[in-house]
Amino acid sequence: MRALVTGGSAGLGQALCDALLADGFQVVNLDCDPPKVISEAGYLYCDLSSREDVDKALDALTAQAGFDLVIFNAGISATGKFEDISTASHARIIAVNAEAPMVLCAALMKFGKINHGGNIGFVSSLSHFTGYPGAASYAASKDALAVYARAVRKTWQRKFNIKVTAIFPGPLKTDHAARHSPEGADAEKRMTPDEAALLILRDIKKGRAHSILGGAAKKLLFWGKLRLNR
Amino acid sequence: MRRKILITGGSSGIGLALANRLSIHHDVMVTGSRPQTDITEPFSSDLIYVQASQSEPETAVKTIAEALLKAGWVKLDNVVLNAGTGFAVKDAIDDIGRLRETMDINLTATILLSRTLYPWLAKAGGTLSIVGSVAHKGQALFPAYAASKGALNAFARALRSEWQSRVAVQILHLGPTRTDMHAKAGHDPGRLRSIFMRPSSMAAMMEFAMASKRSPLTLSFRRYASAGSRLGRNL
Repeated sequence: MRALVTGGSAGLGQALCDALLADGFQVVNLDCDPPKVISEAGYLYCDLSSREDVDKALDALTAQAGFDLVIFNAGISATGKFEDISTASHARIIAVNAEAPMVLCAALMKFGKINHGGNIGFVSSLSHFTGYPGAASYAASKDALAVYARAVRKTWQRKFNIKVTAIFPGPLKTDHAARHSPEGADAEKRMTPDEAALLILRDIKKGRAHSILGGAAKKLLFWGKLRLNR
Repeated sequence: MRRKILITGGSSGIGLALANRLSIHHDVMVTGSRPQTDITEPFSSDLIYVQASQSEPETAVKTIAEALLKAGWVKLDNVVLNAGTGFAVKDAIDDIGRLRETMDINLTATILLSRTLYPWLAKAGGTLSIVGSVAHKGQALFPAYAASKGALNAFARALRSEWQSRVAVQILHLGPTRTDMHAKAGHDPGRLRSIFMRPSSMAAMMEFAMASKRSPLTLSFRRYASAGSRLGRNL
């Protein structure tokens, strides 16, 4: 069994790689940084904000055997006043978080590199249900993935028996969350990446349409939905 | 009061219909990807046209900002980010080049324009209207298009609560309209096309929606049938 994880060098991606390795998968980690700790996962360099890099990575990936499980996890953020964030940063967020995973996924599908009976996961964000003022382009990029997953899910399940899961994590105990969460946010209540990885893999393997982590997140989701429906 | 209005994607279809309609009472600048000489639909002589293709977002934003300065416009009462593209695909698998083009035009350029036009909008206490689609929840026939419009929905929601009283942000999810969009997308809606909205009716509903500043709004047959667009207020 072969798995591909983007952004597997740190945080949630690293935890996903570890959990997959422990599960007996052969894992490829696509990331712009080398792994933080030594891992048995194969490392493939790719800066997802560069179309050239993505094309090169695709050449390498499509030359390999197909994957049974693919998780598009890599993501970056920029928080602050919308008009103070540079246009380059906004464009980068869309390129890395939304365009690159959709391009990688569509190309792997086109070349038949996701095996029939396989699973795909897109790491979106809980902001899909709650909104995220202060990170408008990040929220946009993550909703793109949630909607993309929903758009392709039925067709791919019917035609290729490939199941697509949209994953909605809230803030985790990661460096990324620490950098971009509001001051005074309580990090102690957050789930560790390892706990999250296990729950996510469980949902992906079951082929669930959504993976929503933890009771607090589900509660938040409920109130978020109420707010949206108003 | 004459308003200063900028509309993107205004060389044809809904964008142009809206520009023509608003140009009767307001100053309207429209942008489009094609040269002005290639515009085939009726084009009001009061409109200022700027050629700026959003398939290169950074360049388009710069061109549009320069055109505003050149015209001596120091504020914008309304900005309608309407430019968009989409492609019908088989088996929900998008072509890579077209997927990137869709993201550039629909999403990245819209975000960059919102960011760059902020000073103009803030000065007027203006309204930023972003054109979404009824496909924003996901559609297998146009996965990348749906994703880009879903993203705009989240973008507008976040920015609306961030800017609040400074600049009103709204997203308008438009229903199918009788423009060349479907032909360009490689999709033939067949006889269904006969029940699509006319661009001029859609433009009327959009003006009403812009005046209301509400968000999100779905502009489709049902709203049209409820007469909102015909009895609606003007800007």
